Amino acid sequence: MRNVPRILILTLVATLLAGCGDKRILEDLGFTQTTSYDLLPTGELDITLSIPLADPEAKSKRMILRTTSVSSKESRIKMAMQTHLNLVSGQLRNSIFGLTLSKEGIWNHIDTLIRDPSISPQVKVTVINGNAGELLRKDYKQQPRTGKYIDKMLQKEAEGQNVPKVTLYHFARDYYDDGIDPIAPVLKDIGDHIAIDGIGLFRDDRYMTKIEPKDALIFAFLRGRFKQGELSVDLSRETHSDKQMAMLSGLMSTRKVKVNLGRNGQTTVTFAIRITGSILEYIGPYNLSDHSDKKKLENQIASHIIDKSEVMVRMMQKHKVDSLGIGTHVRNRMSYKAWKSMNWNDDVYPKVRVLFDVSVKIKDYGKFR
Amino acid sequence: MTHRRYQDIRIDLVYFGHLVDQDKLHRDTIQPMLQARSEDIQTLLEQSQYHLTTDSKDLIKGILSGKAAVFHENESYLVDVAGPPSRSVGQSETETVIVGPHDAFNEDAGVNLALLRKRIKSSHLKVVKLSVGEVTKTDVYLLYIKGLNHEPYVQEAVERIRKLETDSIFDTHMLIEYIDDSSTSIFPQFLTSERPDAAASKLVSGRIVGIVDGSPTVFSAPTSFFEFFSSSDDYYQRWILGTATRLLRYLAFAVTISFTALYVAVTTYHYEMIPESLLLTLAESRSRVPFPPVYEALVMEVMIELLREAGARLPTKIGQTIGIVGGIVIGQAAVQAGLTSNILIIAVASSAISSFVIPSYVMSASIRLIRFVLLILAGWWGLFGMFVGMSGIVIHLSGLTSLGSSYLTPLAPLKPRDWLDVFVRAPLTAIRQRPSQNKSPNPIKSKNRK
Repeated sequence: MRNVPRILILTLVATLLAGCGDKRILEDLGFTQTTSYDLLPTGELDITLSIPLADPEAKSKRMILRTTSVSSKESRIKMAMQTHLNLVSGQLRNSIFGLTLSKEGIWNHIDTLIRDPSISPQVKVTVINGNAGELLRKDYKQQPRTGKYIDKMLQKEAEGQNVPKVTLYHFARDYYDDGIDPIAPVLKDIGDHIAIDGIGLFRDDRYMTKIEPKDALIFAFLRGRFKQGELSVDLSRETHSDKQMAMLSGLMSTRKVKVNLGRNGQTTVTFAIRITGSILEYIGPYNLSDHSDKKKLENQIASHIIDKSEVMVRMMQKHKVDSLGIGTHVRNRMSYKAWKSMNWNDDVYPKVRVLFDVSVKIKDYGKFR
Repeated sequence: MTHRRYQDIRIDLVYFGHLVDQDKLHRDTIQPMLQARSEDIQTLLEQSQYHLTTDSKDLIKGILSGKAAVFHENESYLVDVAGPPSRSVGQSETETVIVGPHDAFNEDAGVNLALLRKRIKSSHLKVVKLSVGEVTKTDVYLLYIKGLNHEPYVQEAVERIRKLETDSIFDTHMLIEYIDDSSTSIFPQFLTSERPDAAASKLVSGRIVGIVDGSPTVFSAPTSFFEFFSSSDDYYQRWILGTATRLLRYLAFAVTISFTALYVAVTTYHYEMIPESLLLTLAESRSRVPFPPVYEALVMEVMIELLREAGARLPTKIGQTIGIVGGIVIGQAAVQAGLTSNILIIAVASSAISSFVIPSYVMSASIRLIRFVLLILAGWWGLFGMFVGMSGIVIHLSGLTSLGSSYLTPLAPLKPRDWLDVFVRAPLTAIRQRPSQNKSPNPIKSKNRK
């Protein structure tokens, strides 16, 4: 019986506290699935939200809200006035940025997104080659809801290494980390569909250039280890023969970076890349069941990858974007003071000598022999 | 009461006609007396079935419990001819097993004692007979195995029963409520069972078993919370299967107390937690429901409880109707009428099914009630509320004792060795010691190694 006052107090507290109004009941919410940001010539932002609708009475499968404003949070207040749903961002999956805005810098928006505790750090960051809002507002008839379409496509392509997986977390990490620059996948509208348009390379938060989709796998080899991917190589140029093609599947790749600082200030960086895979398609003169022929093909593919890699790294050095994170490896080899005293991106990075040591191993060449 | 007088041999016979076995009475008492001549009567009364009784109180008690009293000159004797109505040993209704013994205790304490003695043929099996109830004078037998049992437990239990002053006891659970450590708690603190094999195993593990005359369930003590999640079946199957089913029951426990509450918390407060693919289906099924999730869930949970209670009270023949009505009303119509979302139905149904997985009916009923508390807390405060509720349960459980020993053994106090037979069912050769909660003076259970 001595518990009775305690129970009463507890009940009272519970009832009074329950009055607080932070209830967010599912069907009253409009969960923003994708947000797009574009820069208007006036300097204002053009923001579009795509909200999937669950109401069986609604005709459309999603709701699109659009507004222009100075900041992204201000736009939310404006957009809330256009709808009967409570706008929440806890289910945000993707934030897409138009090309013009990306060139100006997107950090302010990324910062806003990270600051909001209800937004997951797993939200993807994507650049649209063109107008992001237009792409998001468009309905692709043969595809699911546009927001979901982009999200699923990026996820699937990231598994095959055709685009890197870039989330708010990755972007912010690379942004703040010394000696690496952020990247983001680039998409574009091709009429009835959306297509991967490469990998965008950023310097700080500004979009500089991109890597073409056909070179995406080379970029993946250079950027780190992975366990799944497909690569088609055209070896005609290397061998000066009429036609030689190989398609590798089930790729596994590991990367090691060796840094040699050198006495005269000439830093040499060596990428040691080990690739294994199985041949799914091969057109050319070699008989793959012959061991020495297989070795020759492996070497040719390796030298092909080296050539491509050299071109890619030279291009990045030209644009002064260290998307591969070479700087982080160099930084780890020197004192903090020495690192701080040099201007990596502008002075050192473009002059670094980058070497490649690629070995390709063909595990098997298919059922047919 | 029947009173017969045999003038020529100077004998008076007193008994209750409805309590005695008429055949036995005729065979043992009336027949020999009719044939006896007055000079033989002294030798007749020296036969073993006649117990010389001098105390008139004992005599009355004897007659009340179905014995026949024989008066000859100045001597009085009791003859045990008791044969009160009782049913035969049948199958357990509440604790069925698939493999293993099927016999169950019945309402006759004598039969129950016999069932246990049949399983434990040891002279160390001791029985303390006690009587409870000023009016009913119900017999209570406390059993223990001397040498395996921690003596203070027996003393404590005997003490508690002796101190008990009440007019009547009709069932083991009534007795338990009088003598357990915290009668206000929702959790049962003594394990009850209908199965002689379970009771025998409790005895051998060093616990006390109590039999109440007139009740088909026996209790065992001390008990830990986790004992309610093990079933005899675990030991009669291969140990891997036993382990799997036991883990399944703990899963069922988690599901039954938290699933509906989780639904309420997530749909009311934490939409961020829902996977994208589920989000729209969930929002769609919620969109027609006019109530907030917590009321929706409460209505459905109460409905399920109504169904369960109705099913339990109705005779089996009408009981089937309940299943059909419940299945249609709750399963389909409620969703179509827009009263609930179909995902809630799944949540409610799976937590109801899970609650029936717990082998002890008493425990499963307690857990079903706790579910409502968590549900309301989830409606108030979301996941935080569930957390508060769970913490409350854990705090309460850790405060409970059973015959003075911690209810949460072997978690608190931590006894990792006991886990072999608590969270999993290890191979019998690996379970080498009796549970430490029982403080058995002879803890080694099996010496075989493999």
